[in-house]
Amino acid sequence: MKQSGIAIACDGIGLTYATKAGSPIVALRDVHCRFEPGRVTAIIGPSGCGKSTLLQIARGLLLPSIGSLQYLDVANSKASSRPPRMATVWQAFNLFPWRTVLENVTFGLELARISGADRTTRARHALAKVELTGFENKYPRQLSGGMRQRVGLARALVMEPEILLLDEPFGSLDAQTRLVLQEQLAHLVDISGTTAILVTHSIEEAILLADTVLVMTSRPGRVAATIGVSLPRPRSLATTNAPGYAALFDQIYGLLRAEVLKAMAIEVEGA
Amino acid sequence: MTIHSSPSPPGNPDKRALARGLIARIGEPRMLAWTAVAAVLVIWEVAVSVADINPIYLPRPTRIVAALIEMFRSDRLLVDLLITLGRIFGGFTIALIAGTLLGVWMATSERVNAIADNFIAALYPLPKVTLIPLFIIWLGTGGPFMLTISALGAVFPIIINTVVGIRQCDPGLVLAARDLGANNRQIVRMVLLPSAIPSIFAGVRLGLGVSIILVVAAEMLVGKFGLGARLYLAGQVLETEQVFAVLIILAALGIVVTKIQDAVDTWLSHWRIS
Repeated sequence: MKQSGIAIACDGIGLTYATKAGSPIVALRDVHCRFEPGRVTAIIGPSGCGKSTLLQIARGLLLPSIGSLQYLDVANSKASSRPPRMATVWQAFNLFPWRTVLENVTFGLELARISGADRTTRARHALAKVELTGFENKYPRQLSGGMRQRVGLARALVMEPEILLLDEPFGSLDAQTRLVLQEQLAHLVDISGTTAILVTHSIEEAILLADTVLVMTSRPGRVAATIGVSLPRPRSLATTNAPGYAALFDQIYGLLRAEVLKAMAIEVEGA
Repeated sequence: MTIHSSPSPPGNPDKRALARGLIARIGEPRMLAWTAVAAVLVIWEVAVSVADINPIYLPRPTRIVAALIEMFRSDRLLVDLLITLGRIFGGFTIALIAGTLLGVWMATSERVNAIADNFIAALYPLPKVTLIPLFIIWLGTGGPFMLTISALGAVFPIIINTVVGIRQCDPGLVLAARDLGANNRQIVRMVLLPSAIPSIFAGVRLGLGVSIILVVAAEMLVGKFGLGARLYLAGQVLETEQVFAVLIILAALGIVVTKIQDAVDTWLSHWRIS
């Protein structure tokens, strides 16, 4: 079956930003990658390698200093006239604290001028998907970290994005909550065939969720390797015992280890 | 000291329990607050009678209350109260709208901030009463003058707190809004402004206090109507009871304003993230 949808192609992307201290910092250099529709791509790399920056460039919230970003209509294999619809789930949740759960989820729909009744229906549906029915009128501060991130997920899903962007979505949650949410997200990805880009520190998370893993170098970030994950779906925690998992883990860890050591050296220099 | 829970002695166990209960009730902080007020009033009343103090210096509380009722009934004190309230809140509303708008503009534009910065630095610490003579020359002593003075008192804390509030907005929220499709205008209206509300309200608290002071002071100086004018006139003719009566109204106004602000503060707890 031929895939349809819009791919994002990064061609030689670099980003340099000025600092007050003087010497500019090169965050990304010569990044080539492609985010294919219908696939989940994980970006993994050491701290400060520019993974989240790359995600924001792909989203169009940040302009690269050099290189080009292209949206490609895969079915006709030509440039797309419009970017795909995208929505982001953030590590720090970034929920609006003065809005209730429901109002947080309807935020993007309000901006899209969807009528009131429609907004509520769609938001309730999205909240049901992340199992938060009954919490519509709570405020974010009244929820646990895991529940807050499910609100964040519902807020993104309600926009019906063609590409879901996940920026270390479970990074600020405790280990147990993280496991459960990873499994729930893996399930969601399995049933919906969503296109997603996942930025993560966790090799396990990358393997559990992704079809393709991009391993990045330490700063300035480049794509060191592109690794396909062909473990069968649906995946769950049990996948970590599946044949092939350990080899993949070792392969990614082997690539990362050297880069993480380099990143640590950069941090010491900077400090 | 240790507390014994000795068995209650024979006699009137009911009465003792009742007395103990009453003392415990009065001991509660909430009750205690009003008991203290009542105690001061009683001591005042008794002391003035016993020491036979001339009511021109210190009238008895009961006489003050009588004067207050009389002023409301036949002397149209309510009209003066409404005039003063109108001046305070009229000017304050102008300050709230203008101050918030200017604050947003300053916080989102470096140029506007640069232009406004020195003027605000010069005007903010200036005691606003010193501007009363100038504004009388410019505007006379009528309504426009009163509204200007009131607005001037409140506007600076509101501007400054709006700027601070917006600058403290979590950049992650702006990013999230942009991600969900917000343009700059929508970000100001739906993210920056709401996130600055607790800070703006802190400015409102400060500003409203200054507005009250300025309006009453201006009324005392040049007003024909209003609580300040009544206060000043009563003092001129040594109607001490009326002076106290107006002071009571002003104190009551202070209590009401403070309680409303406390309620708003509680409501603003939604803004706290954790």
